[in-house]
Amino acid sequence: MKGPTGMNDVERAPGPYAAPRVGAGIRTSLVRWAPVAVIAIAAVGIWEAVVALEDIPNWKLPAPSAIADALWGDRGDLARHTWVTLKEVLIGFGIALGAGLLLATLIHMSRTMERVIYPPAIASQTLPIIVIAPLLLAWVGYGLQHKVVVVALISFFPILVNTVDGLRSTDGDLLNLMRALGANRWQMFIKAQVPHGLPYMFSGIKIAVTASVIGAVVGEWVGSSEGLGYLALRSKSQFLTERVYAAIFLLGVMGVVLFLAAGLAQRVLVPWHGRQRGGPNT
Amino acid sequence: MESTHTKIRTTSIHKAFYENGAHLSALAGVDFHASDREFVSIIGPSGCGKSTLLNIIAGLDQPDAGSVELYGATTAQRLGSVGYMQQKDLLMPWRSVLDNCILGLEIQGVPRGEARTRARALLAPFGLEGFEGYLPHALSGGMRQRAAFLRTVLLDHDVVLLDEPFGALDALTRSHMQSWLLGLREDLKKTIVLVTHDVDEAVLLSDRVYVLTASPGTVRTVAEVKLPKPRSMEMVGDSAFVKLKLELLSALGSLGSRVR
Repeated sequence: MKGPTGMNDVERAPGPYAAPRVGAGIRTSLVRWAPVAVIAIAAVGIWEAVVALEDIPNWKLPAPSAIADALWGDRGDLARHTWVTLKEVLIGFGIALGAGLLLATLIHMSRTMERVIYPPAIASQTLPIIVIAPLLLAWVGYGLQHKVVVVALISFFPILVNTVDGLRSTDGDLLNLMRALGANRWQMFIKAQVPHGLPYMFSGIKIAVTASVIGAVVGEWVGSSEGLGYLALRSKSQFLTERVYAAIFLLGVMGVVLFLAAGLAQRVLVPWHGRQRGGPNT
Repeated sequence: MESTHTKIRTTSIHKAFYENGAHLSALAGVDFHASDREFVSIIGPSGCGKSTLLNIIAGLDQPDAGSVELYGATTAQRLGSVGYMQQKDLLMPWRSVLDNCILGLEIQGVPRGEARTRARALLAPFGLEGFEGYLPHALSGGMRQRAAFLRTVLLDHDVVLLDEPFGALDALTRSHMQSWLLGLREDLKKTIVLVTHDVDEAVLLSDRVYVLTASPGTVRTVAEVKLPKPRSMEMVGDSAFVKLKLELLSALGSLGSRVR
């Protein structure tokens, strides 16, 4: 059978494996993002106008300008609480990453470990985190470690599942070829299954970083005296609605930044991904 | 004609598979041999167990009955002692062409630097010079297949098994690859077993051609190719070539019906 692209290659000059030109990159980014910026500015403008024209009270829906005021006016406080939440997220995610990869490796290596690990891992995800989080308070206390555990608990699962699927989906023919070449199990794991699984792992990581932010907020709501989640909750009871929105805004920014960082890490560590089309039998 | 230097000999190989409770006989008593530096092709209808035979020789599978002799010894542990290449190039998308080529040496424990040096020496005859740093996705189908072939022969195994190596290529590229392999085969100094669907390819490249019957696979006939060497693509028009090709097609049962 022919390859899907029908290459008729008599030494076709291949596309180079080189970095894209930087100048052109900036220009295309401008073109790509300009409409997004226009829409965002328009949406904020309409929001501002509606609040002003309809005379909507501040506690119901604050105007963007009021939220911006809160962001600037409380910047010291907000920065402190942001840092607390970011710390919870990063430490919790780090633990989730380590645990997820370790458990995925164990599950991949042994059917027995799969039967031991998977059921409780799945069960831990079916119970709503908001139910478990208060129980955890009794075990690990009120401090940073509680939030870290909640974050880790919610974010290890996508990493685990995606990594297991990635390790498992290595082409059986490639593994057979390696076996025919005399490879042992460890060589097949390190040289074929791990690199093959990396893009899958990153899919899991992207889901996990955004879930981490949710985990931190839930943990703070259940029991904390600092962090953006706690601040939002307290500000709501004080009818400082614009500060609630400011905290939500910062949480959103945190999620987006973490997601982009994961994507950047993926592009650096898995540069081949998304470039493998075009060969026969792919 | 059997040389004293027999590299591969299978005696009365039987192999069956169980699928969905059904007993499928793939090979039913296959005798096969290949001598030192001999080029032997195996042709046969789809599902005649050609690939199963190669898998058994390579040690990926064991026969239900019969024996496999490799390099004069009968052993069940044959993994890692022959070169083996499939229709899929199976290049690793994360490795450069050069690093794909050294996979086998790496598995054997040869240090990477030394392995790369040995691979570089073969880049030119394999038409890959200047492309060693590329990732496989940037290569054409023919180049990918040549890289997979380089990976196979870079190991110093005397026996190389090729399972429809050009089967995934378009007709033009395939004929380029055949003529390239034709030019290379004397220099390789290896015993080569080629499984193919292509009768022209089998006759052009081989010293002997095995024709297998449809499932279960047995040897219908073995033909010796007495065309002079070195061979060239132009020989496909020779009367001797055409005569043998017709014989093989008739052994395959392809004449009178539609040819694949």
